[in-house]
Amino acid sequence: MKKLNYVFLMMICITAAAQDHAMHDMEGHSHEGHLHDTMVDGKLLVVNPERFDNFVSTLEGKQVAIISVSGMVCDFCARGIEKTFAKDKTVLKVDVDLSGGKVLIAYSQDKNINFEEIQKKILSNGQNATDIQIIKI
Amino acid sequence: MIPPMGIKALVISVFFFHFVNLEARPISYSGGYTLMMESNNMKDSAYYHYSPSYKYSIGIQQIKDKYFNSNYSYLRLTYLLNRRNTKNSQRNLYFQSGLSSDGLDHYFYGTHGDWETRSLYAGFGYKKTMMKTLDYIEQYLQVGVAPYIGEYGDLHTWLMLKSKKNDLTSNWDTYPVLKFFKGNALVEFGYSDTSNWDIHLMYRF
Repeated sequence: MKKLNYVFLMMICITAAAQDHAMHDMEGHSHEGHLHDTMVDGKLLVVNPERFDNFVSTLEGKQVAIISVSGMVCDFCARGIEKTFAKDKTVLKVDVDLSGGKVLIAYSQDKNINFEEIQKKILSNGQNATDIQIIKI
Repeated sequence: MIPPMGIKALVISVFFFHFVNLEARPISYSGGYTLMMESNNMKDSAYYHYSPSYKYSIGIQQIKDKYFNSNYSYLRLTYLLNRRNTKNSQRNLYFQSGLSSDGLDHYFYGTHGDWETRSLYAGFGYKKTMMKTLDYIEQYLQVGVAPYIGEYGDLHTWLMLKSKKNDLTSNWDTYPVLKFFKGNALVEFGYSDTSNWDIHLMYRF
């Protein structure tokens, strides 16, 4: 029982510290002048700003599909999706944002992006693609 | 700073979601291979499986049975009966079965399920093993909490509690488990005064 009490106490301390760290991360990031503020089809891009800007930094003249994915809860899910898209020769770059539930896929400008094809690939990994936004860089 | 009610909610959620994930990920993504190794007071085993699709996996498990002092293999099948994906969670229900190298009168079947978010986990399992001389049932409940949420590729940590019962040993045994998860590798350590170490290793190819 003593051991269990110790484990509970340890869990509470670590969780509290992690929450404090997360609050700190939310403070003080400026979004001005970044591509992630762009509207696509009347909808604002909902992406991790730093992650998105970093992803597109070498993709001038390309297009990026931002896929919303449900059921992506761990690294194994993310790795499976990454491997699936890495096999596609038309894909230039992939990034999986686990926290935001997004997959960013870069294609050349002339690629005709097919959402159904992307949905099938994500389903083959066991998750569901629920939305797509395409932005030209 | 967590408000007082936040601490209360946290303590309650930790209490209720405190059991693990040892049987989690029984199926890989399409075309994926997985190696799982397990060691506890009842057996040592190595299990290698292949997933032709995300719905099922087939594999071979080699077992050193410490209770019956014997060695045998299982040809195993795990099938995903039901999955529900939401934005922040995934829930699964699996059927599992295995046929022993000892013969047709030694096999097992059962079910296990889990629900998880990036910070909470709850799971259960039920498995009935039929042998030439006797049959027995194994059951478990698991809950866990991730003390922090890492990004993809980070080291992920889970603090968990497992409660299991094997007909052969009669009583429920509850003990804490630590799980570490990075890249393709996962390792879990559990320890109880009754059943000693419960160790799981997993690597996905």
